Amino acid sequence: MDGVGHHLAFWSLAVITVGAALGILVSRNLIHAMVMLILSFIGVAGLYLLLSAEFIAVVQILVYVGAISVLMLFAILLTPRAARDNAETAMRYPGLILMGLVIAATVFVALETDWGAVREEPVTESARIIGQSLINEFVLPFEIAAVLLTAALVGAVALARRDDEDIDAHEQSLTLEGREDSGGSS
Amino acid sequence: MSAWLLAAWYDLRDLSGISREITEWVASWGPEWLASAVSGAIGAIAILAVIGPTLMILIWTERKVIARLQVRYGPNRVGPRGLLQPVADAVKLILKEELVPRAADKWLFFLPPVLVFIPALLVWGVLPFGPHMQVADLNVGVLFLLAVSGTNVLAVFIAGWASNNKYALFGAMRVIAMTISYEIAMVLALLTVVFLTGTMSINGIVLWQQQEDLILIVLLPMTALTFLLGATAELNRTPMDIAEAESEIVAGYHTEYSGMRFGLFYAVELANTLVMSAFMATFFLGGWWLWGLDAWVPSWIILLAKTSLVYFVFIWLRGTLPRLRIDQLMAFCWKLLVPAGLLFVAIAAVEHTLLSEYAWDRTIALPVMAVINAAVTVAVIGAYARATGAGAHRASAGPRMARGRLGGLRAARQLAQAPSGGD
Amino acid sequence: MTIGLEHFLVLGALLFGVGLYVALAKRNAIGVLMGVELMLNAVNLTLVAFGRFVESEVALSTSVFVVFIIAVAAAEIAVGLALAMVVYRNRDTINVDRVNLLKW
Repeated sequence: MDGVGHHLAFWSLAVITVGAALGILVSRNLIHAMVMLILSFIGVAGLYLLLSAEFIAVVQILVYVGAISVLMLFAILLTPRAARDNAETAMRYPGLILMGLVIAATVFVALETDWGAVREEPVTESARIIGQSLINEFVLPFEIAAVLLTAALVGAVALARRDDEDIDAHEQSLTLEGREDSGGSS
Repeated sequence: MSAWLLAAWYDLRDLSGISREITEWVASWGPEWLASAVSGAIGAIAILAVIGPTLMILIWTERKVIARLQVRYGPNRVGPRGLLQPVADAVKLILKEELVPRAADKWLFFLPPVLVFIPALLVWGVLPFGPHMQVADLNVGVLFLLAVSGTNVLAVFIAGWASNNKYALFGAMRVIAMTISYEIAMVLALLTVVFLTGTMSINGIVLWQQQEDLILIVLLPMTALTFLLGATAELNRTPMDIAEAESEIVAGYHTEYSGMRFGLFYAVELANTLVMSAFMATFFLGGWWLWGLDAWVPSWIILLAKTSLVYFVFIWLRGTLPRLRIDQLMAFCWKLLVPAGLLFVAIAAVEHTLLSEYAWDRTIALPVMAVINAAVTVAVIGAYARATGAGAHRASAGPRMARGRLGGLRAARQLAQAPSGGD
Repeated sequence: MTIGLEHFLVLGALLFGVGLYVALAKRNAIGVLMGVELMLNAVNLTLVAFGRFVESEVALSTSVFVVFIIAVAAAEIAVGLALAMVVYRNRDTINVDRVNLLKW
């Protein structure tokens, strides 16, 4: 992949993506970290476009930026204010060392291995080929993924739902009157 | 048509000729990357040139048409018939002081007006103005449209959050809940269209309509309705404008934005309405194609006419229908639009298979399919109406209101003269 | 120097490493999930790079794998966030250091 356009695209997208990932580390606020994560998702979508995987790029934006990010922002909203300071645990120095080791090992393997046959021309019409593979060769994983998503949906709703007694207890803890008179309504 | 008009690059019917000429000229003396950059830049400038003046006209049109629907005159002070009203609006917004709340998150407060403008401009890239007049003919164009429209949700949330204002946050939450629900309905509607036409490229859908000699609204009425209502919800327009329900939560997620920042939100809402009208016209009314008329009239004028028609329908809905409550909105989406959408996905898949595998005679098969789809539409809507008790009030209706035959101002004068308001 | 497979692999490795650190070192449970998402994105990027640059007999099988990973990631995030909310409701904290009742 030669040419000024490719180089410009790759280096700017790489800087954006890795920069945003590092921004998650150093942000002092959890919401800022979330916005950095969204930026890294968009950077990765741009890299997919550079790799001629336009279907995957669009699916990345649709699913990650459009849905998963919103889900995480909602969850941040529903959790305590005090924990939004994006601080770190005691594992940060061992974590740094492990990060360095993992990156070094992976980069060494990536650069030293001979990856075999190299395809020069990208595959066009990736959406059609992926669709046909999903229906022909990979139909069983496709159906199992559908069941998995349904199970996750039902499970998440069942977990996050409040039972009636939880709601009563929650309401009582919110109002002072609930503690003083006995037998509040509902 | 005289011969000089049909000549090469200045043919008005195919504006991409101009772009091709310029790109080839640049490629002849410069490096290749410069030529592709120039062709991209021409596309971007063309989009901005379309949106800019159109927004100005749209501000005036919307206010005038709503006013006439509400039996009043609308803006008529500034300029002849109020035509300079958009200029007055723009000047006011630019000169207004931009207040930033002290406790608002500074970085995140600046972000939403920019973040909401990016999808509004990006989707114009996949709209086909003619058979070769598109900024980018992606072969996943429909998915691109859906993905980019889905990022509006993020801008709304960040706007509501960064304002540090409870009403803004409530407004943002309600808007997000509504938007993601109606987004699913729109995805199902567009999936139906993709199944029937067999292509995800938007120009391909118009070419399918050209090839089958049929506009998709005849074949898929419920899908067109779902897309229209889903677009109304995505655009936060009445009857689904709980975001800007001024009587309820001040101004929702853009409460704290003033001056040109609010102007950006407002402009983006209009631009989004225009592009959604254009996409509705493209998917369901045939886009730039009109039964061979595009050999004489430039195709972008045909698209403009159809877009204006759909835009008028949007304004009509806004001026006529009352605002729905959030639970009514959600019930409508999840109980009618999504199940009907799923049903029509199945029907469209079956119909596409029958058409392509068995190669039936199109002149018989397509009308039969249209009739079946229309019958299913009526059945589904009728079942929902009966289930929610829609027609129950007719039995106890009182005397009907006076109806002036010509409507509007004359009806108002009639009512004023005959105060008893008989039938 | 042509942009080749190694560029994307190194980029994927960097993203994976940063995601690993974020998943290990953040105190907020949602921060940990952010790290997990970053790792999954890095893996997806590596897979798509392989699909683009290496010949294979089933065309674009890596992209199909990526589609499945995206679906599973969405499911996992939904369940993970629901779990985080339940933990907050019961323990009144979302600090992963404090949720240690089973510690020996």
